[in-house]
Amino acid sequence: MPRPLIPPIVTEQPALTELRHEVRAFLAEQIRAGAFVPHVDTWLTRWDRDFTRELGRRGWLGMVVPPEYGGQGRSYLERFVVTEELLVVGAPVAAHWIAERQIGPSLMRYGTEEQKQAFLPGISRGEIVFGIGMSEPDSGSDLASVRTRAERVDGGWRLTGTKVWTSGAHEADGFFALARSAPLDPAHRHDGLSQFIVDLHAPEIEIRPIISMGGDHHFNEVHLGGVVIPDERVLGQIGDGWSQVTSELGFERSGPERFLSTFQLLAAAASAMNEGSLPLDAGLGRHVARVAALHHMSFAISSALEEQTESDAGGPGASAASGAVDVDTAAAAVKVLGTTEEGDITDYVDTLTASGWPRGDELFSLLEAAILQRPGFTLRGGTNEILRGVIARGLGLR
Amino acid sequence: MADPVLPTPTPTPNPTWARATPADGRPLTSHPVADPDLVDVLVDLFDDYRSSRPGPSVNLAFDADLWGRLDALGLTRLSASEASGGSGAGWLEAAALLGIAAGAAAAVPVAEHDVLAAWLLESAGLPNDGRLRTVCRPDPSGVAINVTWASDAASIVALWEDRDEWRVADVASGRSEITAGRNLAGEPCDTVVFDLDDLEGGVVVDHSIGEQFHLRGALARSAQVVGGMDRVLEIVVAHVTERTQFGRPIGRFQAVQHLVADIAMEAALARSATDAAVARAAASDWSDPGMLFAVGVAKSCVGHAASVVVRGAHQALGAIGTTREHELHLLTKPILCRRSEFGSVHEWDETLAELASSAGHDRLWPLVLTGRAAPPSVSRSAT
Repeated sequence: MPRPLIPPIVTEQPALTELRHEVRAFLAEQIRAGAFVPHVDTWLTRWDRDFTRELGRRGWLGMVVPPEYGGQGRSYLERFVVTEELLVVGAPVAAHWIAERQIGPSLMRYGTEEQKQAFLPGISRGEIVFGIGMSEPDSGSDLASVRTRAERVDGGWRLTGTKVWTSGAHEADGFFALARSAPLDPAHRHDGLSQFIVDLHAPEIEIRPIISMGGDHHFNEVHLGGVVIPDERVLGQIGDGWSQVTSELGFERSGPERFLSTFQLLAAAASAMNEGSLPLDAGLGRHVARVAALHHMSFAISSALEEQTESDAGGPGASAASGAVDVDTAAAAVKVLGTTEEGDITDYVDTLTASGWPRGDELFSLLEAAILQRPGFTLRGGTNEILRGVIARGLGLR
Repeated sequence: MADPVLPTPTPTPNPTWARATPADGRPLTSHPVADPDLVDVLVDLFDDYRSSRPGPSVNLAFDADLWGRLDALGLTRLSASEASGGSGAGWLEAAALLGIAAGAAAAVPVAEHDVLAAWLLESAGLPNDGRLRTVCRPDPSGVAINVTWASDAASIVALWEDRDEWRVADVASGRSEITAGRNLAGEPCDTVVFDLDDLEGGVVVDHSIGEQFHLRGALARSAQVVGGMDRVLEIVVAHVTERTQFGRPIGRFQAVQHLVADIAMEAALARSATDAAVARAAASDWSDPGMLFAVGVAKSCVGHAASVVVRGAHQALGAIGTTREHELHLLTKPILCRRSEFGSVHEWDETLAELASSAGHDRLWPLVLTGRAAPPSVSRSAT
């Protein structure tokens, strides 16, 4: 038999289901109270620090952060179900998204004791908000080509360059910048890159908005005008930036935000079919089926990553079954299938509606927003063209 | 409110980070996998079969020799209870057998004989002598079309809807008029005309048996299709790695890589959906009220994946893959046949659409997770 692309499925047990119900009940209450209006793609487009802090108070941030750093000391699987519940109701989760998904885990893995003490408690309370600075005007899919320079100065590194597509930089406190700390060696392009923890309030930093085609401001260009980063704010090892950045890709690419960004639109379409404002159509069933299957895939990968993390930490380790799977390849598959499906849901509902649809209607608002956000689904976090290459490599074709 | 400013650094050494464990000791997940020793046996057995069987042909004849080997190992009665002479294995093992056998294009009626016919007999309290059986649902006039393996079976188990009642009858083949036919896969696929007296003499069973039969058949077919897709992917990867054009293996071309990646991903999605339904069936012995949704998800994902996998595989293999001599059609034809059995892809999509629309906005997500649209009061009471 061929090596499976996806780890074997896992079944949720009551401890997780109870956690879901707890989160679900809180969110239903928040919606009733008008604390937020459900929307699409809220992990990019809905920024609400009060809501983020409320999640922190309830113990639903920093879930995988150990208690000694202000976190909950829970598992990635528990975080997974909380994340799913937040996404399906379209809650405003953008403010903490990057910190929760990438910054916290990176700090736990590569941060110094001081860095962990400095940032993890604030992240877990929802009070410190982070962005991520990887792409540049001339570096998109080819991340190793970044040109932001890190020059050695007394006690630190001087950063000069421009980062782009940094979501929420205008609201965030800091970001992780990937920069070239040694000249490019064409034979070893992944060498000489380093990660720096940058305070976005520093005077040498200029943040300019990039307005999306719908008129919204989520993305920014961040100009680093020679800001000096002290040695204590280097993340991990100088020169190890590439492996540090890529080691977290499994989590970044396989999570439920890769197939649930338009779930609110799908749910609205289901109701519209029930009420008769849309024709009952088999396509709804097809899309619901794919979302359900993607949930199983994504959850299985989360479980395999949990085992891998335990194994890295000297714990019980990966089971024989999931150990046979390359998790990065599996994560790439979920991201391609899931982000395509988010867009297909959008296109599907669009083909069912006519120009006479009432414009103020909830379904129409969700649809318009989804159409405007959709191009980004299959671009962010690695384009689907790059990811198909990752899968082909996993299959032994390159 | 002013945003907090990042803390300024105070250097300290970096201790080893110890990962935290869940706060309470209860398990978060279970891992439903088939008995690995059995899976090893199956893989070896069917690998051996694949390498020793006769070359590919357009029509498939029942392989009595392979059936004998399976019978000797107890694999023809894998899922039947031990009380009725079976091995008492569950659906995890049954699905593994169905998938691995399908991946070897084995010409044996495992789904019909064991998973469906033996189960119906046991549900009806009828004896099972272990001879080869197939299964069908005759219409009110006693005619069943597209009955796979009927010509080879010693007896045909009929599930018959007689006005308001469901009956199960075990009818010896000689008692019915069988007209031989073939399905797209080249399997025996026959028309059976029963004597109505034989059907009327069947044992009345609960309505749930009739409904479950459709679900069990649909999931068995899904398990077979995903097993076939595994092998298709293997063939495709081997071919694009070996076949050289323009001075390099065609798998080095990005367009071909993306084609193969799409095949692999759709097959993986179909497998996840099928395995999830199998796990739910195994955990609840089919009593879970979410089974209709779970099987529908499997059937829908499998059905749509078949479109991508079959077209992509034939595209990747080129003209050689369209010939009788090549193994590929032994897999792609049954994949297309089976995705349409026990409800078309479209019918299952419609069923899921009805479940989803009646769940409505607020209960669509519980439906996705559990197969049931739990009433809102359930989630409120959980606080």
